Formats: sequence, structure tokens, C-alpha cells
Amino acid sequence: MEIKGHYQFSKEYQTVLDESIEIDSTFDYAYCAKSIAYLKSGDFVTWKKLIDKAVEYNPKEHLGYRGWCRYQFFRDYKGAIRDIEKLDSLVDYDIGQSQNGIYHLNIAKGLCYKAIGEKEKAIAILEKQIKLNEEEDFVGANDYLHLGVLYLETEKFKKAVETFKKQSENNEIAENQFYLALSYISLDKPVESKFCLEKAKELYIGGRKMYDPYSNPMDKIYLENIENEIKTAYNNGYK
Amino acid sequence: MNRTNRMKKSYLAIILLFSILCGCQTEKKVSEKQEYLRWVGDIEQNDQIDDLSFEVCNGDDKILQYFKLGEGPVYNGEKSKVLNTFKSNYKPISDKKENGLIRIRFIVNSKGKAGRFRVLQSGYDYQEKQFNQKIVSQLLNITKGIENWEVFYRNEVPVDYYMYLIFKIKNGQLTEILP
Repeated sequence: MEIKGHYQFSKEYQTVLDESIEIDSTFDYAYCAKSIAYLKSGDFVTWKKLIDKAVEYNPKEHLGYRGWCRYQFFRDYKGAIRDIEKLDSLVDYDIGQSQNGIYHLNIAKGLCYKAIGEKEKAIAILEKQIKLNEEEDFVGANDYLHLGVLYLETEKFKKAVETFKKQSENNEIAENQFYLALSYISLDKPVESKFCLEKAKELYIGGRKMYDPYSNPMDKIYLENIENEIKTAYNNGYK
Repeated sequence: MNRTNRMKKSYLAIILLFSILCGCQTEKKVSEKQEYLRWVGDIEQNDQIDDLSFEVCNGDDKILQYFKLGEGPVYNGEKSKVLNTFKSNYKPISDKKENGLIRIRFIVNSKGKAGRFRVLQSGYDYQEKQFNQKIVSQLLNITKGIENWEVFYRNEVPVDYYMYLIFKIKNGQLTEILP
């Protein structure tokens, strides 16, 4: 019997992997494969026990994945930083992308630093990685957006606008226009801001927004956020 | 001398009893591990604790996972509505010892009603622990109080699915809700 063809959550899949662990209790792949269903069902206790075993037996292979999962599923920012930095210290090659391929792990690490309040450090990490990504012509789908939001939050409004414009060229989404609108408000450009909010709403309704099958990504917005800003703009007389 | 011997014997008896108890627990855990249900995380009806009026519409063997329905974690009225519900109803229990994750997992049936709620709790070290019951019961009651969840369809037929909420607690305060 093999796991191929069986659903990750199924009894059959888990049983085959248990049998392989009985044969070789250091088989890191089996622990990692078993952990996925627990991760996706939100069972952080069992997931952690299993993925820790995988990391124990093959840290270079699983540290980046565990770090990413800590962030994506449980918003364990400090734990994710620890894992990604540990991986970086162990290898002399590029630590690579997140499991879903959306982010370079350094971008994910930067977002975790932002979440624990170290915004300048986050900016430095994102700027550095995005520069490398640009050289490889491999900028992530949300990289400029996150950097733009960081500039906005640290009141670097002009830089924010420049960065959101790059995001527009790379991957236009509702969030981008929303945060661009907020930047324009801070730069006292109400007309531009209003235009961006309308565009954000249109994009949102059209399904052009941040998406992750398992969780709500950082910097994601909701229709309510856009509509509230539009209301505020109207109340301020910017029609 | 006799007294010392008696004490030694008592200690031995306690140690023996303790080992037997631990042994039983370990054995139980191992056997539990091998007895899987259909899928990891499946929740069977427990008449002692579950609302008897809650019904799974298409049978337990057809309950899906929320993320297999192609929309991501979708909430009726968007996530902001859920966040606001907890923000306005949760009364923080200020206590520096109350830190970690609480997951409430449940089934949403094809009518958008939720049932079979189960709670999992751990510290930020992912080790199971028990939070102050006032925190857990509030979160559970607020979750149970959400009347409508998103109805998902597969091939135009409404389905039953597993959903969960994870609450991040810091010093008894609710800091984040996932997914």
C-alpha cells in the first residue's frame, strides 16, 4: 500500500505513514506528510508534535516549511522568524519560497517583524529581498503591496505611492488601490484618493483581491473598509 | 528499622501505582493514535454535549473541509462581521497567565447552521493547556451565537463542511482571530 491516491486527511494515508515510521522512526518525510492534515484542520497541538519530528531529523528540509506554516496558519510571528533565521544560518544557498509560492521566505520573515512592531526592520528586509527579486525578474504577487503598506504606516507617503504604482503594474488588486487612496489622503490629494477608492471597490467586487485558500493574508481588506472610506470622503465633501 | 521498612514499602507501592497509571495512559494514547476516523479531525455526534436538533444534511461521510470549496475562509457578511461580533461581545479576563491559542472547530451544515463544537487549547509553545473557563465559555458561546455561516455549494448542491476559528489570547485579551 502507498500514500499515492489517498487524501491527506484519510485513515489510509495516515496509516501507511504510521507503518513507514514503524520501519524507520527517523523518516522525516512521513512525519511531515502526516502533519499536513492536522495543520489544515487547525490542530496546532498534533501538527507541532509531528512537524517537530520532521525538523529534528532533517532541519534543512523542513525548517522553512514549519516557519511558513507557523505564520500562515497560526500567526506565530516570533516562531516563524526563529525557524527562517535558523534555516538561513544552516545553509549557504537561497532559502527559497513559501510553500504556496507567493512569497520568498525573507518577505514572510519581514512581515513577521512588522507584526511584532519592528517596522523599520521589516522595511529593510523587504527592500533588500524585492531588489533581489527584481534582478531575477521574480517579484512576488504581493511584494510591492506589503512594502507600500509599510511605507504608509511609517508615514513615508510619497514612497508608498511610488511602490503602489509598481504593484499596479505587477498585479493590480483592490487592496493596492485602497492603500494608495489612504496615501493620497495623507498627501492631501482628495480627488485622486476618491478615484482610487472607487477603483478598489470595483476590483473587490470583481474578485481582484488578496486571496489564500486557508487563511486571510496580512494587509487584506474587506468591502466594509472600502465603503467606510468612501463614506468618509463624501462626508468631507469630496464628491 | 521497621518504620523505615514500612516507609520504603509505601514509597514502592506509590511508585508502582504511579507507573501502572502512567503505563495505562500511554497505552491508551498509542491505541487512540492508530484508530483513525474517516478523516483527521472528524467530529462524531455526542448526544451528551451536542445539540440534538443540529443535523448534517448529506451524511457524516460527505462532510468537506472549508478550504476544499475554492473560496478560502469565507464568512457570512465577511470576516469583519465576525471580528466585530467578538470585539463587542468578548469581555477580557485580565490575567498575565492566560496566553495561547484556542481553536473552536465545528460543522456548518448545508443550511448555514453550525453544530458539534469542539475546543482545543494550547500555550504559545503548542503544549495543551487549560485556559480560564470564563475565557473558553465566552468564546464558545459567542461562536454558537453566530446564526448564519456561509452556505457552500458543490455542483450547485449545498454541502456540509468543517470550519474552525482560532483565537489568539494575550494576557486574557483577544488579540487575533484566524483563519
